[in-house]
Amino acid sequence: MTVAVAGVGTSHFGRQPDRDLVGLAWDAVSEAFADAGVDAVDAVWVGTVFAPAGVAQRVLRAMGITGIPVLTVENACASGTTAFVEAHEAVRTGRYGRVLALGLEQMSTAFAGAITPETTDPEGRAGLAMPAMYAMSAARYLHTGAATPEQLAAVSVKNHAHAVHNPRAQYSGRYTVDEVLASRMIADPLTLLQCCPTSDGAAAAVLTAADGAAGEVVVRGAALRSGAPWNHRSPHVWGHDIVADTTRDALADAGLDAVTDVDVVEVHDAFTIGEIVTTEALGLVPPGDGGKAAAGGVTALGGAHPVNPSGGLLSRGHPLGATGLAQLAEITWQLRGQCGARQVEGARLGLVETMGGGVSVLDGNACVVTVLEAR
Amino acid sequence: MSSPTGADPRPEIHRTADGDWVVAGRRCRACAEPVAYAWPRCPACGAEVEVAHFGPRGTVWSSTVVRIAVPGHTPPYALAYVDLDDGPRVLAHVAGDEPAPIGGAAWLIGASDDGDLQVEVAR
Ligand SMILES: [Zn+2]
Repeated sequence: MTVAVAGVGTSHFGRQPDRDLVGLAWDAVSEAFADAGVDAVDAVWVGTVFAPAGVAQRVLRAMGITGIPVLTVENACASGTTAFVEAHEAVRTGRYGRVLALGLEQMSTAFAGAITPETTDPEGRAGLAMPAMYAMSAARYLHTGAATPEQLAAVSVKNHAHAVHNPRAQYSGRYTVDEVLASRMIADPLTLLQCCPTSDGAAAAVLTAADGAAGEVVVRGAALRSGAPWNHRSPHVWGHDIVADTTRDALADAGLDAVTDVDVVEVHDAFTIGEIVTTEALGLVPPGDGGKAAAGGVTALGGAHPVNPSGGLLSRGHPLGATGLAQLAEITWQLRGQCGARQVEGARLGLVETMGGGVSVLDGNACVVTVLEAR
Repeated sequence: MSSPTGADPRPEIHRTADGDWVVAGRRCRACAEPVAYAWPRCPACGAEVEVAHFGPRGTVWSSTVVRIAVPGHTPPYALAYVDLDDGPRVLAHVAGDEPAPIGGAAWLIGASDDGDLQVEVAR
């Protein structure tokens, strides 16, 4: 059975400590329900990382969604997309007719600054905050000549410029490479403007069986993996191989020969180096060309392979559990031609990639890659 | 969020009779994967493991300096991923507030006051 994305919605993304998760979730779900033209679902998958226990039922009962199967999943930054692929599988196999996938997170009330490293994890206990994990990759890229500081900064410049056209984004602006490099150092060589902000938000999608309507957005393929060991034998930086392997699975599921057939992509750019590594791991650009592609406009709106037209995590914001579903909402709007000044003209095939989690010794906790298509 | 209570998850280190610091880890009996932790099975293949000691010498794979507040640590502090010779990649602290030279030599010098694995590096 082919599965359609019948409706999507998101809250505003940003620091919203005075709002609660009930309100943020309602913003996302009410928009997704109105978009789909429905007022009920048969089951719900909720993705979140740091929300309190019981959050799914707590927000859903406030909108009258009770007495049906509700499942909460956690897969680090890929929690929202994990909820989506599980909801997709439930519809595809006929387990449920209409399913809601909801992602939510309130980071501003959970952390004073960056995410506190997990002290039951060896490297977390040793103080390896997520910016430092990505900084290790960035420093390695600079050392081997695979990227320059200016190319790293170009990702931030591009995504902040994209977000100027996205009213839901937390930050946007016309920065220069020099301004990005001159912002406060967080973990060498990554500066503040190369790191995603602290964000609160929710995003949702309603999945149903496709009805064959013209322009309908359907799920063409999907894949999920957890990380294999990443160590001294690994040929790439942290997080590369899990993205490459999951992408291969998703493209096979979608029946696509090459990722370059895709018209528009949303990827997990929690840090600038993340987008560079990911565009290479996806196969959008040749190995080692990720930085050059960002600096040269290849991955900008109007370029050969537009990446993160929404502004990405760097600018839209990164409420962990909500991110994946916000990425899917952006690609759905792109495939419907609803994105205004950030529209990728004629986009018919879109891809979403989310990867995250810093469990020691693993190449990421989880990666989800989804291919959507406008029929 | 959580305060560090319960068992310490960081690698266990020993001082040899020669005075060298080594990580007391495990090596896979099937695929020879070295691991810095006393885990019951090999994370790469699931096979049985045996006790193995790694270090003290290794090579810096990458390095950074953390300049933001992290509970339990005072910024700025330098971290390095060090590939121990014939051993695992371990995360270690480096004295000072400069990144360790990538590709350079590093050797274990014990644990820091906070209980973190510590290396000295060639500069
Ligand atoms: Zn093994």
